[in-house]
Amino acid sequence: MINFNISQFKALLSKELKEAFRDKRAMMMAMMMAVMAPVMIFAMSKVMIKEAVETPEIYLKISGAEFAPKLIKALNDENILLFSDVPNDKKVIWDDRNIGLAIPESFNQDMLDGKTIDIYLSADYSEKANNSPVRRIKNTISNYARTIGYNRLLVRGIDVRLLQPIKIIEQDTSLPNSNAMIISMMLGLYLLMAAFMSGLPVAIDASAGERERNVLEMLLCQPVSTVKIVSAKLCCASLIASIGVMLTLSLTSFSVSFIDLTKIGASFSLDTYTIIALLLLLLPICFFASALQLFVAFQSKNFKEAQSMVSMIIMLPAMVPVIMMFVDDKPKWLDWLPITGQSLIMEDLFKGLPVPWSLLTFTGLVTISMTVVLVLLMAKKLRSEKVVLALS
Amino acid sequence: MIQVNNLRKTFGGSNKTMFSSLMGNKEQSPVIALDGLSFTANDGEITGILGPNGAGKTTCLRTLYGLLKADEGSATIDGINVIDDPLAARARLGIFPDKFGLYERLTAYEQIDYFASIHGLQGDAKHQAIETVIKDLEMTELAHRKTLGFSQGQRMKVTLAQALVHQPPNFVLDEPTRGLDVMSTRVLRNYLARFKEKGHCILFSSHVMQEVAALCDRVIIVANGKLAAEGTPAELCELAGETQLEEAFVKIIGSDEGVAA
Repeated sequence: MINFNISQFKALLSKELKEAFRDKRAMMMAMMMAVMAPVMIFAMSKVMIKEAVETPEIYLKISGAEFAPKLIKALNDENILLFSDVPNDKKVIWDDRNIGLAIPESFNQDMLDGKTIDIYLSADYSEKANNSPVRRIKNTISNYARTIGYNRLLVRGIDVRLLQPIKIIEQDTSLPNSNAMIISMMLGLYLLMAAFMSGLPVAIDASAGERERNVLEMLLCQPVSTVKIVSAKLCCASLIASIGVMLTLSLTSFSVSFIDLTKIGASFSLDTYTIIALLLLLLPICFFASALQLFVAFQSKNFKEAQSMVSMIIMLPAMVPVIMMFVDDKPKWLDWLPITGQSLIMEDLFKGLPVPWSLLTFTGLVTISMTVVLVLLMAKKLRSEKVVLALS
Repeated sequence: MIQVNNLRKTFGGSNKTMFSSLMGNKEQSPVIALDGLSFTANDGEITGILGPNGAGKTTCLRTLYGLLKADEGSATIDGINVIDDPLAARARLGIFPDKFGLYERLTAYEQIDYFASIHGLQGDAKHQAIETVIKDLEMTELAHRKTLGFSQGQRMKVTLAQALVHQPPNFVLDEPTRGLDVMSTRVLRNYLARFKEKGHCILFSSHVMQEVAALCDRVIIVANGKLAAEGTPAELCELAGETQLEEAFVKIIGSDEGVAA
C-alpha cells in the first residue's frame, strides 16, 4: 500500500515537472528574476560608490559674487562653481535645482569691521537631490569662516583651543557591513521576490490553467487523493521557485565580487556561511509562496482571474519588508510569522550579526506548518463540487 | 455493476444573499437536474443512456465519478458507495468524461502512462498495458507525438486510451463517439463488444440511435431527471409501438419538445 502511494505520487510529480520544464515561457519568467537581480545590485552599487567618493560639480547662482572674490575662490576649490559657467547640457538641471547664494554689497567693509556678515543660501531643502550640494556648500563656507575667525584670534595672541572646551570624538560602532545596508536591503527584498515570482507561472498553470483546459476535472475523477494531487503541484512549483532563488543568490554573489565596495567602507560579502543561512531561510518561503499562489489560483474561476489575484500576493514580499522599516517597536510575533520573520533575520544577517539559528528554525517551522495547513485546505476545497466545476 | 438509486440533484436557487436583490438577480428558480433517477447497469452488458439535451445524463454520470454530490439517493459501483469511499469506487471505474482536455506538453504515450500509474500499474505490466491499448485503438503513429494540435478524433482516442488502459471492471463513457470517424467508431464498438464478452460493465450515453440500437443490450431513457423507460431496444420499440428506436424514443419522451431543446 505504501509502495502504491509512493509510485502514485511519483507519477503525479513527474508529470508536473515534465509539464513545467517544457513550458518555456514559464521557465524564462522564473530565470529572468534570477538574472535581473545581480544586474540591478551591480548598477546600484556603482552609482552609490560614485556618489560617495566623487565630488561632482555644483553650479550655484551667486548674486554679488564680485564682493567676495576670496570666498568664491574657496568654493571653486571645492568644485562649487558659478552658474554662469554651467555647460549647456547641465543647464536645465541646475536651473531647476535653483540653489542660490546672496552676498551683500557690504561684505568687504563688514569683514574689515569685524561684523557678522549675513549671506543667504536658498534652496528647496525637501528636495533629496539638493541634500548633498547644500551640505557641501555649507561645509565649505563655514570652514572658510572658521579659518578667518581662528586667524583673528591668533593675531590677538589667543589660543584657538579655548574655543573648544569639549571635543566630541565620534566612534561609529556600526559594523562595517552596515554601510552597505541599502544594497543588502535590496538584495533581501529581491530574494523574497524571487521566491514568490519564480514559481508563479507554474503555480497558476498547474491549477487555474489545468481547470480551464478541462484536465483537472479528469484528474479529480481518478482514484487519487486530493492531498496527493495538491502536494505534487506544490512540490513542482516550489522546486522551480527554489531554483530561481538559488540562481539569484549564486549570480549575485558572483557579480558582487566585481565591485570594490571597500571604497564606501563596506565589506559586503556573500560567503558560503551566509549563503547557507539564506537558503535555509528562503526554502520554506518558496513552499509557502507556492502554496499561497495555488490556493488563490484554485479558488478563482478562470485563468485571468487567477493571474490578477495572484499578482496581489506578489505585493506581500515587496511591501512587508518596507513597512517593517517604519515600525520602530516591532512586536515579538513579527519575528515568527512567515515573510516578516525571514526579512528581519535577513536584515540582521546582512548587518553581519551572528545568525540566530533557533529563531531561524522556529520561523521556518511556522512557515512550513502554515504551508501544510494551506495544502490540507486546498485538498478539502478540491473535494467540493463548487470549486471543482467553478460554480457559484 | 453500477447501481443508481433515487438520485436527486438541484443546482442553484439556494444561495440567496442579502444583496441578491440589489445585484439584479431576482429569485432564480433552482434547476432540478435529477429527480429521483434509479437504474442498474449489469456486468457483461452494454447499457446505453438516452435522453434529450439537459435531461440529466451528464449530471448523473458526474455523480458516479464523485465530482458532484447528490442531494438525495446513492450511487454504487460494484457495491461501493461513491460518497463513502470515492477512491475505491473510482479505482473500479474507467471514465470518458463529458468535458475532456489533454496535457498538451506531454506525448500521447506519456499521458496514458500517467493515468496507468495513477491506477497503480507499474513496471512491465504497465508498459504491456499501454502497448496493448495503443495497438487496440490503432494509434501507434500518434503515440510519441505531443498532443498539442491533435484533431478532435485524435484527442478522443488519447482520452479513451487513458480511460481504458487499466482495464477497469466498469466503463462510463459520456458520448464517446462524437467527432470520431467511421473507422474509429467501428474500432471503439468492437473494443466495447470485446470487453462485454469478458464480463465488464459498460455504461454509455449517446445521441446516435443506430449505434445504441446496434450495441446496447439495455437502454435507459432519461427525461427531466427521471427514468422514462428501460429495456432492450426491441422492448422499447414494442412499448412505443414503433419499429425504429428513434421513433420510439421521441414517443416515450412524450413530445418533440425534448428533441428541439
